[in-house]
Amino acid sequence: MSKTFSLSAKNLIRKPGRTAILALLTAFLALAVFGGSVVVLSLRSGLNSLEARLGADIILVPTEAQSKVSFQNMFLQGTTGAFYMDASALEKVTEVEGVEKAAPQTFLASLKADCCSIKIQVIGIDPEKDFTVQPWIARSLTKELGDMDVAVGCKVEANVGEIIRLYEQRCKVVARLEATGTGLDTAVYCNMDTMNALLKAAEEKGVSHKIESGSDVISAVYIKVKDGCDIDAVNSRLNGHIRKATAVRTRSMITGVSDSLAGVSRTVSGLIVAVWMLAFIILLLAFALIIQERAREFAVLRLLGSSRRMLSRMVLTESALCGLLGGIAGVGLAALLLFPFSQLIESSLRLPYLMPDAGKTLLLAAGTALLSAVMAALASVAAAYRLSRIDPGTVLREGN
Amino acid sequence: MKKAMIPACVMLALSLVVIVGSQTFLSPCVHEDGSFGPCHWAGRALMGLGCANGVLALLVLIFRKARFGVYMSAMPVCLMGILTPGTLIDLCHMSTMRCRMVMQPAMIILFAATGIAALLGTLSSAKE
Repeated sequence: MSKTFSLSAKNLIRKPGRTAILALLTAFLALAVFGGSVVVLSLRSGLNSLEARLGADIILVPTEAQSKVSFQNMFLQGTTGAFYMDASALEKVTEVEGVEKAAPQTFLASLKADCCSIKIQVIGIDPEKDFTVQPWIARSLTKELGDMDVAVGCKVEANVGEIIRLYEQRCKVVARLEATGTGLDTAVYCNMDTMNALLKAAEEKGVSHKIESGSDVISAVYIKVKDGCDIDAVNSRLNGHIRKATAVRTRSMITGVSDSLAGVSRTVSGLIVAVWMLAFIILLLAFALIIQERAREFAVLRLLGSSRRMLSRMVLTESALCGLLGGIAGVGLAALLLFPFSQLIESSLRLPYLMPDAGKTLLLAAGTALLSAVMAALASVAAAYRLSRIDPGTVLREGN
Repeated sequence: MKKAMIPACVMLALSLVVIVGSQTFLSPCVHEDGSFGPCHWAGRALMGLGCANGVLALLVLIFRKARFGVYMSAMPVCLMGILTPGTLIDLCHMSTMRCRMVMQPAMIILFAATGIAALLGTLSSAKE
């Protein structure tokens, strides 16, 4: 076996052009499989992350937030949005039958922050009541968010301990949160006292958040429904009980994303299958042509005492090595395109996108390279069989 | 001799992509109010480093006997090119902004590829 392997390796090294072409064909196959799989996995992880981050069954937002279509975009694309309702909505929510937990959040779109040239979404939470963002923050910050402390999403390039200015207020970054693959990664989180200070500062800058009643404001209430209660019924009760606000089931938001994801997954899977079939057919033809061209070489080897079995094994080893080489090259090329430009891909897809962890990615890369080797070997099976049947005398006499 | 010139041609082509790209399709963020962020200056520096690499590649093609030294001198320029966006010169503080999303990864890849070409050129020149 080792003799066959070394002979196959020498054959590949001595014919670099032929080896490169065969490797290039399998590289396309590996590129499609690895690239496509990483994109689909990232989209699935993004959707799971979105579900985990939403955490609530129902979200109550001011009616205007629905018409602005800003609420869903805030989650998916990180666009800034600010809409307000009377803070008394929180109490009214807790009065509704079937509500287990209710946590308020207040949104504020910053002016262009001094660190960036775009607006940042600032989200005020009540750490005591919050059950959606707080567990996520707790993974990166062991203490509670203090006054004028902020936790930043992973896409805000500010280090812990750095001071960022929001409406001329100095806020200290105390934590950088884990990636979620959603629009929440571009936001800044603070407690309600900090949010009130920022709202006041915004008011002084001419950014009004006042509502008609002039009372305290919140932007959304996240609601957890008691176990066993019908979520739709609670949703209807909330819509009937609270004026100028709309209760939205988080499931409906996720379903829309899930549908888009299914569409993208189908397209990517279709492309993978198409590239696979094409690459396999081309490989079949390529091996058939190469074997025909090398008939004299193999005839000489037969005359020198190589068995049919050894020649077949040599062809299969050569093609598997070519496939492995191409697989590694394809995976490398896909990694070079996917990982540095993951943010660009996420922005283009406009869907939650969370790259798989290193272990999963390495496993996928190794699997793809191995698969390429197997596919290349399979493509050469017919050629290897034909080769084992040649009559060396006839081939050498005919000069073919 | 001819083989040793191939890396110089690759370097020249990549440098042209850096020079043209840093001002067009790989340019830093464009601020609506016309102000310049730090990424603007990073883009300018990258264009300068691309020009330096381009000149070095031309020097290899013109003064072939000096190619070993010229190829070697291109490598620190490439290292500077890799470190400029984000490390030596700050970029905008949001990953979703163009300078971090497009310019930084593309420039790192381009300068890394130029560096590999320079390294291959150095090795092939050393052999001769």
